[in-house]
Amino acid sequence: MSTFQNGMAPIRAMEDDSDVEEEALVADYKEQVQYEDLDDLDNNNNALSAQQPDDLQARLAQAAQPLDFSAPLETKFQSYDAYCSLFHFILNSDGPVDLEPPSYYWAWDVIDEFIYQFNSFSTYRARIARQGNSDEIQMLRENPNTWGCYSVLNVLYSLIQRSQITEQLAAMKRNEEPMAVAGEYGSKNLYRMLGYFSIIGLLRIHCLLGDFSLALKTLDDIELNKKAMFARVMAAHFTTYYYVGFSYMMMRRYGDAIRMFSHILVYVSRTKNFQKNAQYDSITKKNEQMYALIAICVAFQPTRLDDTIHTALREKYGDQLLKLQRGGPESLPIFEELFRTACPKFISPVPPDFDHPENNIDPIEHHLAVFMDEVKTNMWSPTIKSYLRLYTTMDLKKLAGFLDVKDDELRSWLLVNKQRSKQLRWTDHGLLDGELVNVNDLDYALQGDLIHISEAKVGRKLVDWYLRNLSRTYA
Amino acid sequence: MNGEDPQERPDSIRTVINGLERYNPEAAGTLEGYLQLQCEEKFCDCNANRALLKLYQLNPDRIKDEVITNILVKAMTQFPSPQFDLAMHLLSPSHSNPAPTSASELAEAVAKLRALNAQLEGAQYERFWATMESDEDYADLTTDIAGFEEMIRVRIAQLISQSFREVDAGVLEKWLGLDDLESVTKFVTETCGWKVDADGLVHIPKNPENEAKKTEIREDVTVDMFARQIKRSWEETV
Repeated sequence: MSTFQNGMAPIRAMEDDSDVEEEALVADYKEQVQYEDLDDLDNNNNALSAQQPDDLQARLAQAAQPLDFSAPLETKFQSYDAYCSLFHFILNSDGPVDLEPPSYYWAWDVIDEFIYQFNSFSTYRARIARQGNSDEIQMLRENPNTWGCYSVLNVLYSLIQRSQITEQLAAMKRNEEPMAVAGEYGSKNLYRMLGYFSIIGLLRIHCLLGDFSLALKTLDDIELNKKAMFARVMAAHFTTYYYVGFSYMMMRRYGDAIRMFSHILVYVSRTKNFQKNAQYDSITKKNEQMYALIAICVAFQPTRLDDTIHTALREKYGDQLLKLQRGGPESLPIFEELFRTACPKFISPVPPDFDHPENNIDPIEHHLAVFMDEVKTNMWSPTIKSYLRLYTTMDLKKLAGFLDVKDDELRSWLLVNKQRSKQLRWTDHGLLDGELVNVNDLDYALQGDLIHISEAKVGRKLVDWYLRNLSRTYA
Repeated sequence: MNGEDPQERPDSIRTVINGLERYNPEAAGTLEGYLQLQCEEKFCDCNANRALLKLYQLNPDRIKDEVITNILVKAMTQFPSPQFDLAMHLLSPSHSNPAPTSASELAEAVAKLRALNAQLEGAQYERFWATMESDEDYADLTTDIAGFEEMIRVRIAQLISQSFREVDAGVLEKWLGLDDLESVTKFVTETCGWKVDADGLVHIPKNPENEAKKTEIREDVTVDMFARQIKRSWEETV
């Protein structure tokens, strides 16, 4: 369990994106993959020496097993009951349960699978309600609380509270010993790991329910850097950045979203050569989704991307990106298409209306529609930017003539583009914090109908280039 | 973000929204009372209001239509900002995409507010005032929010000052939803402190936003950026 202990080492408060750090993490990951089998062996020994009943170990292992998507409804109900009794046992026994997690990944796998099943159950139930298959409807009607949102939230919050993980993470932030505040539950691996990954589970659930700011707030105690505990479980690392990035995008913080997606995509591209195949397959789809999301964010806010990302983005979504960046009504279907393919599978927290199938609108349509409002508001910005870039002063009426729109319309476009150039950007502390920065390289002010335009010149950024090549040369 | 965590928020509300109490259906009453206070005292706590929407999301039987519309109108006054959208995301899909056959009153009201908000977000201020005039429903929907029109007007003026150095009073009249040039002059001189000249041109004082200065973004290079390299080269020589 040595890897495990390392993962809990005090997190140094640093945001370090240098190659050296990345290199270290990649190497670390490689090591982890190689030694994993050995790790498993250790655990088996532990389990044997503790002489735990096989039955319990089997239940622990079962909880982390993926349920077949096409499993019949009965199986989904049974699976829910199995989770309930397992969590009840873990949370409500007389004192902490004396169990070691079967493997390093176990806690993540359990929470991940638990939420995945909740998510797919909700989606399935809504679909049945829309289609109207009588047998199953009856069964779902009679069990409105199975896979209920309150009980799922309850499990996650209880695991977080029992494990005192919030207190532990706060202690680590202050560079203190987390064990001092862990309590009798939290000092056990089982509880600490479940508690930790429940926080990430909450991030996901809040996002699935459309509460994007609460999703980001959930991660207040976790510092997003390469030393974070989740970074040691690839799937957790990946999932966290996807949901954080997505939430940022929905809060119109495109710069921060791009930063999140870029970070994880670069990391994946660097580790893909020694990913185990099965694990990598599941990541591939989310990978594609994040490229689609980057395309959307870049369309809102033109940004210089990392070279690797830029090349891959052009390969995968080159045509779409071009259309997005051109703006106007032709870009709208592309925004919709990319959003649909890349968004999480949103769910509704309450059972559908079985009596009125037509009232059960897919939550994806709802969130998409709200998102598209903002897309439509911004769709002329690329057009006016491309014109303004060519002049230092310009008469509003003349420009309106070029664009073939009314003066008033153009004034609105100019105001919108100017207002959107201010954006919150994260610098320190919680994910929701940030300072207002100007993200547009084009600024202008109006004097009556005369537009004064100034362009911010960006000097070449040499330090990063220099450091990158330096580390390549010496590597 | 505007209207996210106002200073006016009392400790009791802070406790509710930052703890597990935010999931207690009984907390809806407290938060509804707080919304009422926001409407009367002209401040806005979108964060707390979202906690209320979340309770409605989880307990649809508790939904009060006028509370939802008031939350949306409050969020709207923060334009341009994601606040309105964030509140929308917490509504049930049936409230935002009314089914053609069974459109509820709430769904209709939400659709109206969404259109209004789109006009404010899109800086189509003239259209916004025209929409407000077009139907009595809009007055009903905003009636609980003390000083709604005035808040919107002040906000528009503030946004104009960030983009304009001079602006025609006639344009302002339409944007501010005022009836004549006289009231425009009164509003911009008394509320905004701007000057109007004899030609009907309104002069807006200089501020960092309406200057549009040329800037060059340079890279600040510090020794710290090279700390790793220096350390490494030193280690290697030793």
